[in-house]
Amino acid sequence: MTTDAVPGDPRRLLSEVHDLAHRVRRDQRVTWVALLVLAVVTFAAIPFDWFGMQVDCAPTGECEFSRDGVLYYWPPALLVAYAAIAYVYRRIARSRGVDARVLPYAITGAALILVFLAAWIAVRVYLADNPPPTEPLPYGWLVLDRLVAPWGIIGVALLVLARLERNTGLLLFTLGYLAVVLVPIDFGWQAHQSVQAEFLPQQVINGLVLLLGAAGFALARRR
Amino acid sequence: MTAETEPSHPVTGLDDVVHQRVRLGILTIAHEARRVEFGYLRGQLQLTAGNLSQHLGVLETAGLIDVEKGYEGKRGRTWITLTAAGRTALAEEIARLKLLIARVETTDG
Repeated sequence: MTTDAVPGDPRRLLSEVHDLAHRVRRDQRVTWVALLVLAVVTFAAIPFDWFGMQVDCAPTGECEFSRDGVLYYWPPALLVAYAAIAYVYRRIARSRGVDARVLPYAITGAALILVFLAAWIAVRVYLADNPPPTEPLPYGWLVLDRLVAPWGIIGVALLVLARLERNTGLLLFTLGYLAVVLVPIDFGWQAHQSVQAEFLPQQVINGLVLLLGAAGFALARRR
Repeated sequence: MTAETEPSHPVTGLDDVVHQRVRLGILTIAHEARRVEFGYLRGQLQLTAGNLSQHLGVLETAGLIDVEKGYEGKRGRTWITLTAAGRTALAEEIARLKLLIARVETTDG
């Protein structure tokens, strides 16, 4: 870049402005860190869910269960995760010479934990006065249930990060991740050995998707 | 009887401090980065330290940026942030550039 004023070339100036802004945004991104931390948190949740689940099976084979491990593990784990992501994100971005746009993401993530807790409490309050539904829930309710679950709110918060960073790659990845979580897409892997095992494949798949995403963004950054 | 005033040409509103490639680049980077380090600016704009310092001086004198010198460990680092006036000046400059382009395209058509 030279130091000449170019009053007659507004197109070129604007093009340079856009190019510079794009380069800065690229240097602010540390997407792989966010996805790696979330993958670790997702994998670490599996034993908490497995051993923290209260299962009560009747002789008829019908079982009632409560995933208490999810309730006790995820809120503090996500809080720590978002704090760690914000810290590492800013540290890496600053080492590159810029500041990061990560704080609104971390705040959104923390606020979504409250949504998860509120939904959990609402269901508990409802079930205290009403019998559990005997018919399967409508599909829309199931999607909503998955959306406010920890794996869903991770995706919603990632959408915010993609918007903040104007990161199309992350947006596409997050839409794919949300499809896996909400539909859910289990690639045909299901386990019916026990109630605990029913939930295992989806958690492993969610974690793997995040891990692969982290690896993909890290590789893309190196190129 | 009132005289009908013709709208001024966008060029007349251009601010010489901002309408300069390097300074516009500095403001753009500082706006996107929120806080940018001297070395990063130098690398992106491909300038010598002395040249960049001169431009930063002009922008600081105009009140468009804040320059903060500090240390990270034993290493001295200079951070640049955009002031509110700098944000406004950048937005106005970009708006005028777009207006100029629109004016040129209208004239060409």
